[in-house]
Parts: sequence; C-alpha cells; structure tokens
Amino acid sequence: MTKITVNGREIDADPKKPLIAACHEHGVEVPMYCYHPGLRPVGSCRICQVEVKQGDTPARVVAACRTPIAEGMVVNTESPKAHDVRRECLEFLLKNHPLDCPICDKAGECDLQDYSFAEGQTKGRTHEPRRKLEKRKSLGDVIVLDEERCILCSRCVRFFEDVTKQPQLTVSDLGSRSVIATFMDKPLKGNYQGNIADICPVGALTLKRFRFQARVWNLNKHLSTCAECSRGCSVTAEVLRGGETKRFRPRFNPKVNQWWMCDTGRFAFEHVNAADRLVATRRGAEGLAACDLDEALDGAAKSLRGKSNVALVLSPFATNEEAAAAKALASTLGAKTCFVSPTPNALKDDFLHTGDPCPNRRGLTDLGFAGLAADDAAKAIGGASVVVFVGERVLELFGAERLAALANARVVVFDTHAANAPAVDVCIGVPVHVEKNGHWTNVDGHLGRLTIARSAPRGVRALEENLTRLGQLVSPTGAKA
Amino acid sequence: MVIVRRKELSLSERLYLPEIVRGLSITFRKLFEKPITRQYPEEPLPKNEVTRGQPRLVVKDDGNIACVSCGMCEVACPAYAITIDGGETDRPIEREPKKFEIDMLRCILCGFCEEACPKDAIFMSDELELADYSRASLIYDLQKLKRPKSALQKRIDYVYRLNNRWRKSSSTS
Repeated sequence: MTKITVNGREIDADPKKPLIAACHEHGVEVPMYCYHPGLRPVGSCRICQVEVKQGDTPARVVAACRTPIAEGMVVNTESPKAHDVRRECLEFLLKNHPLDCPICDKAGECDLQDYSFAEGQTKGRTHEPRRKLEKRKSLGDVIVLDEERCILCSRCVRFFEDVTKQPQLTVSDLGSRSVIATFMDKPLKGNYQGNIADICPVGALTLKRFRFQARVWNLNKHLSTCAECSRGCSVTAEVLRGGETKRFRPRFNPKVNQWWMCDTGRFAFEHVNAADRLVATRRGAEGLAACDLDEALDGAAKSLRGKSNVALVLSPFATNEEAAAAKALASTLGAKTCFVSPTPNALKDDFLHTGDPCPNRRGLTDLGFAGLAADDAAKAIGGASVVVFVGERVLELFGAERLAALANARVVVFDTHAANAPAVDVCIGVPVHVEKNGHWTNVDGHLGRLTIARSAPRGVRALEENLTRLGQLVSPTGAKA
Repeated sequence: MVIVRRKELSLSERLYLPEIVRGLSITFRKLFEKPITRQYPEEPLPKNEVTRGQPRLVVKDDGNIACVSCGMCEVACPAYAITIDGGETDRPIEREPKKFEIDMLRCILCGFCEEACPKDAIFMSDELELADYSRASLIYDLQKLKRPKSALQKRIDYVYRLNNRWRKSSSTS
C-alpha cells in the first residue's frame, strides 16, 4: 500500500488502482462518466480531474482515472482550480446534450444530470443549434441507442472489449460527428447486452423492455438474487409502486457477478409478474373451490393424517429456509423427498450463466434433497398414496401430464398457481421469490439473499409458516405420524 | 357570565300590527327590485382568468396530448393525487402517458402541477364543480382530463403573463 494525502487526509491506497479508485474507496467523491471500476480507464470524459501536487513541482490538474498512485502524492479534489476545470468540461459535455430529461429513462439516476445539477450552470452560453442525430437507433433486440444523448464515454465499447471479450461496438466517425456504432449497423449479439444500458452514464443506451415503462424514482428497489441459473447473481429487484416488477439490475458482488448479469436473468419477470395468483383452494362437493388459508391447511392435514406412504416434491426455487421447513415436515410425515431438477439449458457460457436453471441446487443438495428430472421424480413418487408438491413453479416443472398420471395418489399443492387435476385435494398459494425473505446457495457455495420487494397477494403467507403449521396440524406432538 | 337585558319595547311595537305592516312593506318593496341572488347552477358565476379550478390536460391543436409523462407533476403534487404511467409513441416526442389519473378527492387545487410542468401540458381550468355519486368516478382518467387547448387558453395566457420566465415560443404553441 502507498501513502497519499487526499483533501488533507492521509490514506493508504492500492498502487495497482488509479487515483479515482482510491478516492472512492475512502469516501471522497470524484465525479466520473468514462471511468468504471470494472473497465479499463481511458480518460475520455475528463470530468474526474483533480489537483495533484507531487514533490516540488507546482500543483497540476490531472484526470484521476488515468493517474497512477505514487508515494507522497498530495491530492485536492475540491480546490477552486479543480472545480473550475470540471465545470468547464461539463459545459462541453452539455454543449450538445439534448434537454431530454423529461422523457429520458435515465433521469433520476443519471450521472450527467446529478453532476450538472450540483455543479453546472443554469444557462447555456452557446446559441448554435445542437447536434441532430438519430434518436431511436435499434442495436438489436435489447438496446436502443439515442445518439444525441451520448457523451462518447466509450464505457459500452470497453464493456464488450474487456468484459465479454467480444468487441462489437466502436466509436465511429471523427470529431463532432462521432457516434457509437456497430460494424455495418449489425445488431448486437450475446447474452450480456443489457449491461451497457446499466453502465451508460447518460440515457443514450436504454433497454427496449424498460423503455418509458417507469420513472426511476417510482421504483422501490430491494436487494434480491437472480433466479435464472445456479450462479445466483446479486440483483436489485425494482418494483413499480409496490406492484409490478419492472426490472432486475445487477448489484455489485465481487464474489459472484461483479457488476454484471445476463439478459436472461435481467428480463426474467414474466413469472414474478404473472396474474391469477393462487391463495387457497380446497376440493369440495363441486370440485376445487376457493377457501381461506386455515380451511385449506385443515384439508391438507386431513389428506395427510394417518397416511404412511407419503412423498414430498420440492421446487428448485425453494429457499434454504423453505427447504428446511419442508425437511421437517417430511420427517413428521415420514415422507420420501426429492426436488424437481430442470434440465440444463443451452445458455451456458464461460462468463456468468451456468446453464443450470436451478438457483438453489447446492443449498437443496446440502440439505439432503436429491435433484431428479421430472420423469425420474414421477417414477420415484410412483407408489405414494399422498404427494405434497412444495414451492413456486413446482407443478410447472413437474408437468401437468405427469400430475394427471398420478391417479392413485391424493395431491396437496403449495404453488403460485392452482392445479386442476382430479388427484388434487388442496392448493395453497406461495410467494414468488421477490415476495419472500430467504437465501439461495449458489453453485460456488455463496449465499444469495432474497428480500421482500413487494408484498405477496392478500391471504398468501410465507411457505415456511404454512409448512410448519401443516406439520403441527398433522401431528400436534411433533412425533412421526 | 354576561347578562343580556332585553330592550324595552315601545308602544307601537307592543301594538304588534304596525310592525307587521312595516315588515311586510319591506318584503313587498324587495319583490319588485332586481334580485341579488343567482340561480346557481343554471346560472353559473362569471369566471375570470385568475380562476384556479381543477387541473386539466392540454390537447394540442394537432390532436395530440401535450403531456410526455415525465412525472414532474406527480412529484410536485403535495397530496399525491396524480399517478402516471408512460409508454412509447411514434411521434417525435417518443413518450406519452398511457395512464394519467388525478384523484380529484385528493387534489387540493394548489396548482403545483401546473407550475412543475416543463411541457405546458397541465393547467388549472376554470372548472370548479366537483360532485358525484361514487369515489371511483372521482378518480379522473385521461379521457376525463383532456381538454382542447382553446378551452384553457385564458388561463394559459394568464400564466404566461404572470411568469415572464416562460417564453412565448413554448412547446405547445
């Protein structure tokens, strides 16, 4: 570590990182547009300029992202000279930036907006018309480029060069005509395109799926974990006014996903936003009919009480907490257990996606559940008199036709959506993964945390609670039934 | 405690009839004078440009709504009466409201939305009456809020005169 002085405070800085990283690590704010901790610094936006004095030479203003740490450096980020230089840089960046904030999706989380609000001038000094460029240039299925808003920081260019190692974008043309472009306007490829919309410091790159969907200050942001593969990337689930999940964004986690996530996970909100959520249904004289939760649990307990040959099939999306509750219930019932293991998909790559669409395989296996493909699971529970399906999407993954084939068994279901097979006695609703607290263990053994981003539909209780309650109803003493 | 002593009545007052005649004479005199009351609501009050009634959305002369659903009025609203969901449009402005709701039961007619709007899309109209049979029907949606620009022109001109920071060449003109 190297000792440097920043704003009169002596700090230990990592000499392998640029000066701006040391400032940020020690809580000194330096604005940045082109610098990103996950990308190689280029120093193109010049907004991170700070005053540095080294040895006996007079103080100079340098770009903090391109300045290596040196012993005895005296840095002043707040000197009048540094402020002046940054303000002038900002003026040039804003020279051609359109006044799009009212319609721009980035407004509210835009670095350019924030810093010009803090430092910039309220009036432009130029009268020339601004650059007129293409406002809606499609770059493939995921990204739309607004050329006018672009400040040519080249973060997106470097993302494809440095992170996915598949260079696709470049800064084409020269001078004031420079724009971000792909070769021959070909669409972008790959499963990581969405990241460039995240790292874009302005609203130039926006997601087609999120375009104009919500103002970012209306989104409630809660930490969560991606459900799409066993990597379990740390994400933020962003929920519009406590209702619909509008986007997942990667959350920095140095051990799992760094700053990135794949597009499959980013856009995986079809299931979490699905309508017609199940609360509770119970088989009565006229087939399955809605009832309240206590009645449904009573019905489930009646189906299970005194039965010896019980099987419990767990969802691969069950959290460790839910799996533990399911295990306790299984031991009360004397049930054999397994979890439905979805077949690996072709999305596996050498960056983040593991190709295994089971976010908690490691956690469930550690708890003693065996992962079986749907067919094997159906075989394993073949002779059971009662089958309990537990967890979100378990029936979808088990398959409706396999459920219909369970003619000789009675079925109790804990799932997000009701099943209507003749064998089903009781269906009880469960929260989806953005509606519950819990943990998933990812493929490398790291725990991914889930928090409640929005409340579950009225009447739906946490799965652990329902399983524990069911266990108590079946066997009040806790002994094996 | 205050003791209020009644005035002693005079002889003519005590006689009762002269006072009745005096009173009725006033009644009959007023019967032939011009009335000072107004037959509201058939006869509405005259409204001037300063009237700050309920907020309404401007529909420009080309038939498009001026609102771009930026959410500034939603943020400015102190009563949380406004809810906006945006969406994409093929017009050059790219964005327009898909849902724009003002809960008129929450609206306090403060005019902050008018002040916050960067696109001159929402103005306080001269509509004042607000009565209905259900709460749900008082949550006004886009269809209930849209007004042609000409209907709001008086207020728009007034606001422009009031704020010289607003230039003549606005986005809605």
